[in-house]
Amino acid sequence: MRGCYDSRMAWLSDFLIRRGTAALALLRTWQGILRFAAQALIAASTPAAYNSATRMVVMKQIYFTAWQILLPFTLFAALLSFVLIQIVVSTAARIGQSDFALEMSMRILVLEILPLVTALFVALRSSSAINTEVALMRIHNEIDALEEAGVDTLRMEFMPRVIGGVVSVLALTAITSVLALVLAYLAVYGFQLWSLPDFTRVMGKVFDAAIMTGIWLKSLAFGLAVTIIPVAEGLATPRMLFMAPISVLRGMVRLFFVLMLIEVASLAFKYI
Amino acid sequence: MERAPVRAPLIKNLQFKVGLLLSLTVLLALGLVFYGLYARGLFEPTQTLNLTAPDAEGVSVGMPVSFSGFPIGEVKKMDLSEDGKVLIEVAIPKRDAKWLRHNSQFTLEKGLIGSARIKAHTADLRERPLVDGATLPLLTGEDPTDIAVIKQRVQTLLDNVVAMTQAEAPINRTLGHVETMTGRMAGEYGVLGGVMGSPEKARQVVKIIEQANTLMGNVNGISLKVDGMLAKADTQVFGPDGVMDHTRQSVATVNRMLGEVRESLKKADAILASAQTASADVAVITGNVKEATTDMAQLRVEIDDSVRKVNHLINEINKKWPFARDVEIRTP
Repeated sequence: MRGCYDSRMAWLSDFLIRRGTAALALLRTWQGILRFAAQALIAASTPAAYNSATRMVVMKQIYFTAWQILLPFTLFAALLSFVLIQIVVSTAARIGQSDFALEMSMRILVLEILPLVTALFVALRSSSAINTEVALMRIHNEIDALEEAGVDTLRMEFMPRVIGGVVSVLALTAITSVLALVLAYLAVYGFQLWSLPDFTRVMGKVFDAAIMTGIWLKSLAFGLAVTIIPVAEGLATPRMLFMAPISVLRGMVRLFFVLMLIEVASLAFKYI
Repeated sequence: MERAPVRAPLIKNLQFKVGLLLSLTVLLALGLVFYGLYARGLFEPTQTLNLTAPDAEGVSVGMPVSFSGFPIGEVKKMDLSEDGKVLIEVAIPKRDAKWLRHNSQFTLEKGLIGSARIKAHTADLRERPLVDGATLPLLTGEDPTDIAVIKQRVQTLLDNVVAMTQAEAPINRTLGHVETMTGRMAGEYGVLGGVMGSPEKARQVVKIIEQANTLMGNVNGISLKVDGMLAKADTQVFGPDGVMDHTRQSVATVNRMLGEVRESLKKADAILASAQTASADVAVITGNVKEATTDMAQLRVEIDDSVRKVNHLINEINKKWPFARDVEIRTP
């Protein structure tokens, strides 16, 4: 009887220890991510951190993250926007509330879907690449080697990636949002310019100062998340080659989680 | 395990491309911000209009105010006044203020679905323009809280309409009859056919009228004949050689005869007087009585003769005169 009790207690304490360790590890991971975010932001806001080399890396990042996918992503966003606008407009017409079609489609697309889709697109394409690259650099001790050679890895390698990611997300969001506005106008009013005052009035109703600030803050948060989380995750990779895929996997899941959290927070802020 | 140094592939016009993307982004972002501010009416001079309402249900900040279906302003602020009424501050762009006058009416309209809207009505655009900061009442109209009651009434109404429009409904039958009747009216006999019910009956009526017309023609002929006869009768009766003339002559004759009778009666009176005188001396007279009695008998015969003549004359007149009366003169 007593042995049974002991074994139960042992199992329980073991369980608790395991959970506690996992929770601490998780906490440490997030702590690492936040620390890296703070370091990157501080570095990015320090003018002395920028030199020609940094600028070159930033430009390359923007080129790889935004320019290369600009055309296909814009086409995809246009198609998605057009289909969604058509759905909203025809549904609104069916329930007799055409007046709200434009406002509804703008709220859905420009305020929510397009920033999120942009962030997800960049996450799938660039964040996974960054995470893999940093994890491999860490596994191969390249980061330590560079540090020993006197290179500030944060300033030369990671901070430019963060800036490039943020700028890319903002640029893609801006381009697709404006495209969605144009498409919405065409879908609702057709190929003519006389309804512009009407359109402007609805836009005025949708985009007040708080909403505009909200979109840019949200896009900024998305841009930071898609670069900071993979870099931090890569830096936290144990120095074992088989940990590289696991690092990327964790990084991606965390990134997705953070993106959704930002989205839900922005929704709650706007509508609750 | 040495990692080969990663050499970025040579990118053509890297700076130009990134610069283009960045400037495009900044341009679009600033454009969006300015467009948003413009859409919010930040660059548009406005004037304020205060609306007072007993109830602000359905009114919200940012709600448009429309005039003839066009938005001309929006609700900027809402507040409760000292007397518990709702003060709604509306901003109206200066260029749209011309549609509003000092006596414009503002109504709050609520639908079952969708947001309420404030509508402005201006009856006469020649009135004084609305001044900045004017205060006008907002008419909220009927309270839609008793929608259930209205719904019930509408339901009853609809039921009635359904009952009325059923195939066997009285109104439908009446309309059917009206249709039949107008159909007949459109036929050969027109309204008469509609009233009589069938063409056959209408034809009979027409026939009767025709007969009546013929009859009237006949009656006209008869009345003409009667006129002629009357003229003739007039001539015969009142003419110089007519019945009246004869009658006058006959009456003169009768008068003469009556004079004769009167003479005879005078004679009888005389005889009776002499008989009275004679009776006083019966003895004397007895001898004369016989003589007198003979005279009396003779007189009687004379009177009877006269009367007979008169009677005959009257009979003659009666034969000619249509208004006969039983006239007979009898001797006592």
